[in-house]
Amino acid sequence: MTPPKIKIESLDFYYNTHQILSNINETIPENAITSIIGPSGAGKSTFLSLFNRLWETTPGARVEGRIQARFSDSFMDINDPKLSVIQLRRAVGMVFQMPNPLPMSIFNNVAFPLKLAGITEKETVQNRVTTAIKACGLWPEVKDRLDKKATTLSGGQQQRLCMARALVMEPEILLLDEPTSSLDPRSGAMIEELMVQLKPRCTLIMVSHQPDQVERIADQVIDFTPGSESCR
Amino acid sequence: MNRSFFQQKRDRNETAARALLFMSALVCCLLVVLILGFMVVTGLPLFGQNQAMDLLTGAWSPHNGGYGIAPMIFGTLWISFLSVVISFPMSLGCAAYICVLGPHGKATVMKRCVQMMTGIPTIIYGFVGVFLLVPLIRNTAGTGSGMCILSASLVLAVLIAPTMILFFIQSFDRVPRSWLDAVDALGGSRVQKLVYVVLPACVKGIVTGTVLSFGRALGDTLVALMIAGNAIQKPDSLLDSARTLTAHIALVSAADFESMEFKSIFLCGAVLYLITALVILGARLIERRGTHE
Amino acid sequence: MNRWGEKAIYSLSVLSCVLLFGSVAILLGYLLVKGLPALNPGLIFGSTPMVDALFLKRQVFDGIFPAMAGTLALIALAITIAVPLGLLAGIYMAEYSGRFTRSVFGFFFDLLSGIPSIVVGLFGFSAILFFHHHISESLAPCLLVSALSLAFLVLPYIVKTTQIALETVPQQTRITGLALGATRLQNIVFCLIPESLSTILGGIILAVGRCAEDTAVIMLTGAVVSAGLPDSLFKGYEALPFYIYYISSQYADQTELTQGFGACIVLLLICATLFTLAAIIQKKVRHTLLYRH
Ligand SMILES: Nc1ncnc2c1ncn2[C@@H]1O[C@H](COP(=O)(O)OP(=O)(O)OP(=O)(O)O)[C@@H](O)[C@H]1O
Ligand SMILES: [Mg+2]
Repeated sequence: MTPPKIKIESLDFYYNTHQILSNINETIPENAITSIIGPSGAGKSTFLSLFNRLWETTPGARVEGRIQARFSDSFMDINDPKLSVIQLRRAVGMVFQMPNPLPMSIFNNVAFPLKLAGITEKETVQNRVTTAIKACGLWPEVKDRLDKKATTLSGGQQQRLCMARALVMEPEILLLDEPTSSLDPRSGAMIEELMVQLKPRCTLIMVSHQPDQVERIADQVIDFTPGSESCR
Repeated sequence: MNRSFFQQKRDRNETAARALLFMSALVCCLLVVLILGFMVVTGLPLFGQNQAMDLLTGAWSPHNGGYGIAPMIFGTLWISFLSVVISFPMSLGCAAYICVLGPHGKATVMKRCVQMMTGIPTIIYGFVGVFLLVPLIRNTAGTGSGMCILSASLVLAVLIAPTMILFFIQSFDRVPRSWLDAVDALGGSRVQKLVYVVLPACVKGIVTGTVLSFGRALGDTLVALMIAGNAIQKPDSLLDSARTLTAHIALVSAADFESMEFKSIFLCGAVLYLITALVILGARLIERRGTHE
Repeated sequence: MNRWGEKAIYSLSVLSCVLLFGSVAILLGYLLVKGLPALNPGLIFGSTPMVDALFLKRQVFDGIFPAMAGTLALIALAITIAVPLGLLAGIYMAEYSGRFTRSVFGFFFDLLSGIPSIVVGLFGFSAILFFHHHISESLAPCLLVSALSLAFLVLPYIVKTTQIALETVPQQTRITGLALGATRLQNIVFCLIPESLSTILGGIILAVGRCAEDTAVIMLTGAVVSAGLPDSLFKGYEALPFYIYYISSQYADQTELTQGFGACIVLLLICATLFTLAAIIQKKVRHTLLYRH
């Protein structure tokens, strides 16, 4: 097993008074795929949103406990108020269940995070966008229509575009919330393959409802089924 | 990515934007106060002692130096009440037909039409009212000029109906889909769906919509000005002519600055402002009450 | 409920629809019948050749061209004032306001949207009166005062549409930008506004329609019967609705009256066009404006 990338210690999560997660203790290994499974409503998406603090956008949400992530060499507390949540989200990519391309061109979609981060130098943008799209195996399909609306792509292509968009900032951690569940098997397989290829560069955390998928690609499994505390 | 990458940076843009946005909102709100303020500041010095009270409650008899706006207050209330009374059943029926009773295919088209109706300029209602409805009323009633409370209320009723319908539709549309499906599944008719599910669920929305439409009728100037006849008297019957507060302002604002008549329009403005504030407050309270239960 | 009850309720609702749609149809039909004969270039340009009038070579005296130009100038000015302020305030309300500010400011905006237009007009009127007495004798009701007052009148529309448009952006879209590391401001500018742009534009167009049709405000703040083309912010101006109002009470002969009906149709066409435009935009225009690379 590779060294730990994220350490979660006695973590509780509440929506208002409703406790969703209680006393979670886990380590997530670097450069591996950690899969989160469990029944619907168990709090898998919520758990995922802890790593880029996206839960903060929900009014009434509250977290207790510690999550430490190791960027460069030392661990730091993700929930530290002194830590910039904006920078955190630029370092932790996320892919959602439904492909969510923004209403702009294919190129601009992938270039968008760079624009947000204030990276405007044309050459750099061009290179990084191309690299990201190529990494997702989307290049042959879109290279002639980069200026077309992203919504004209198929669902599978859109999802890979979203992966490319998440990867363009070269994140060290990539969160995926049921990335293949809205796709046909072939597109799903491509995403899976892509995830495996990303392992050397990234720590991947994926929510999945498909046991066979977990079987195929996960290096570690966290089970949220009530009563079970299994790790593989 | 090292530690400094995650350092909080003070975002100048963010702070500046927040300040700018807050200032804009504040300015907009201050306008509301400003509107009242200017009327008071300009109007107040015009009054002598106790004159304001006399103006508010007294009768209008310029020959005896009486410039009370009571007749105008009555005129306003009469006309707006009557128009709401006429408009309410009509609007409720239309909204019910569009949302529940009528065929689905027609609903979108009819809703579009109603939306377009809200765009018909008030002046056009007034203009057609003067040349179409007023002679009609005059001939039917056999007396008077036809410019009366009834004519004005009728036109006003048509004028406020689209707004009222849209309020109702808005509240009908909020009824959860599943409730309606449940009635359908139980074999209920459309009318039953309306009476047993939709209307009870929408009482609050219907009341709020009616109150707000009443506010709209109160504030309308042109229809009353052109059709109600503008006689300053306490109206006794629907066929009497009357003057509303709004029409009074429009008519008198051209008068001599120093006359008592002129001073009364600021009072009219303030009274209108106050009534509107009460109406809005009332509507908000009704809405609140429902959400707490 | 028995079958007869159901039938009765259904028939009543159909009757309301017939009544409302019927009256509006009669209103529009009457207008068309009366006004169509007047619909020709002469209505707009009088006896002046069209080309000369359009290129401002010669003045138009007996057509509604100056009134249309006045209305246009008024709309342009009022919207230019209202839109930036309203947008910013709306963004504040939707994205930055806390519980307290939201409910207080919300009440003020509701109040502002409920204030009768004649009261807003009276505000403009008393403001200019105030400045006339305290600052300069030369200040009088004029185009600028009308535009400012109208801007206040439509401000709440713009605030409200912006607020609602932003608030109804789905949560999924809302977090897309945030998950990519957008700051709050970046998320608003790059994701939320483009997403809701069509709704906001629609609201603005409705505000334009409101400016085009309003009569009560401009009556008190500077519209006059004859002023020629608007050429100064500090002078009186002609406006289409005011022209129609004037004709309705002061028409000299049948020709003038027919012209009045013609003017009604022109105004109606303008408002209908704006409304249709708003409807189309709210449906079709999808966030293309803010993205260029
Ligand atoms: N915004 C919210 N406010 C209150 N409760 C919420 C909110 N979002 C989720 N919850 C609750 O938190 C619990 C966990 O939700 P979560 O979305 O994390 O589940 P999940 O495991 O991802 O389910 P699924 O497999 O269906 O995606 C659920 O019981 C849900 O009702
Ligand atoms: Mg989930």
